[in-house]
Amino acid sequence: MIKIEHLSKKYHDNVVLDDMNLEIHKGDVVGVIGPSGTGKSTLLRCINHLEIPEQGVVYIGEERVELAQKKPKNLLDLRKNTGMVFQKFNLFEKKTALENVMEGLVTVKKIKKDEARKIAMQELVNVGMAQWANHYPKHLSGGQQQRVALARALAMKPQVLLLDEPTSALDPELVGEVLDVIKRVAEKGYTMILVSHEMNFVRHVSNRVIFLDKGHIVEDGTPKEVFDNPKNERTIEFFRKMNLMNEPDYVI
Amino acid sequence: MGKLFDVSLVFSSIPELLEKLPITLELALLAMVLALVIGLIMAIIKMKNIKVLTQIVNIIISMLRGTPVIVQLYVAFFGIPMIFTAINNSWGTDLAVADIPGFVYAMIALGLNQAAFMAEIIRSALQSVNSGQIEAASALGMTYGQALRRIIIPEAFEVALPTLGNSLISIIKGTSLAFTCAVVEITAQGKIIGGRTYRYFEVYVSLAIIYWVITIIIEQLIKFIEKRIRIPEQVAMVSPARIKECIYDKD
Repeated sequence: MIKIEHLSKKYHDNVVLDDMNLEIHKGDVVGVIGPSGTGKSTLLRCINHLEIPEQGVVYIGEERVELAQKKPKNLLDLRKNTGMVFQKFNLFEKKTALENVMEGLVTVKKIKKDEARKIAMQELVNVGMAQWANHYPKHLSGGQQQRVALARALAMKPQVLLLDEPTSALDPELVGEVLDVIKRVAEKGYTMILVSHEMNFVRHVSNRVIFLDKGHIVEDGTPKEVFDNPKNERTIEFFRKMNLMNEPDYVI
Repeated sequence: MGKLFDVSLVFSSIPELLEKLPITLELALLAMVLALVIGLIMAIIKMKNIKVLTQIVNIIISMLRGTPVIVQLYVAFFGIPMIFTAINNSWGTDLAVADIPGFVYAMIALGLNQAAFMAEIIRSALQSVNSGQIEAASALGMTYGQALRRIIIPEAFEVALPTLGNSLISIIKGTSLAFTCAVVEITAQGKIIGGRTYRYFEVYVSLAIIYWVITIIIEQLIKFIEKRIRIPEQVAMVSPARIKECIYDKD
């Protein structure tokens, strides 16, 4: 369904992705975890060519896209097939929630405005934001903005949804509403790649977890395998640190 | 010996000056459009840092900013026909240079002059748009042109509007030099009236009043547009009934 081959990316001397290969099947929800700076976000951003890697090919559906080129000829097809949700929402500030969702439908898919409005409204209903359709991003809380951003991505009916730390810019009390929506989307059978620091959420929502370290996939398996029986030393150390933080400061 | 300063003459010459107001405004608006288009192109070239073109744009901007408008008007008025004459001579063409009215030269010179300043204004406004939005537009599958037209420019416009208003005001004031290109706009008309009545000072005072009033009107207009395009402070919620209406067909 989506296959990434020989993906390498470095910033100056810092190797972020090192000859990575990854194949994802239809309906998979892949959770990507790992320490910061190991290329989790870069992986997503390379898949839809927001970053240009040194080398790498992505196969999506029938398309084969050379990622290392500055302007691959089927770039727009790649982008139409991938939906992206950003850490900082990146909603269009001068457009209402409804216009944000309509934008891609009208300009990219060339759907008539009336029709696009209907589709967009339905998507807003799905994320529970229909009542705020006429609000502008600056009127909305972070969680609401992220739900609109999800609706915007989903309205395009992409084959793969890329979620780049969708909750890490949110106040803790707003995380839940966004995770709920993501969970509902996952249950509908959407193929997703989810980069997140919410370990519990990754564990519950995904059916496959990969652990990245220094640009390599060091662990790949079901959530149970990865979280309960990590094999790699780096993964074990990572979880140990996480658990340490969850422990109380002192015990009587 | 008449009065040293005849106030009534200040007002009585205004109607005759206003006859030429359409020319002043037309010249200013066309020069403004030209400045906007060229300024935008130069801004994008500088932003995208396109090789060679960026250097050329930098030299052009430096030249346009480093010379007075009046000199640029003279250069355009005498220089452009010379280029055409040279083309006619060497290619054997018969381009009718003399048919081009002075208005066109004045428009080109004023437009280019202002474009140099506008390139910087537009560039900083375009760069003020949060890059995340551009990424989001690309991720949706929009081309750079679409993102520019639908997302970046509408937002940058709001940022640049007050400064663009200043540009329009300085172009309008610049049109007072267009007589160098044989354009009779209000200032030239004032000189003609002065030459006829020998009451130069009164006519210049009327001109000052006219320019001042135009500037005030433009300032108010800009303020009005600013208010119109600002995101409203509060927006009403959409009622559940209306939502249903939007989703389902009514049949």
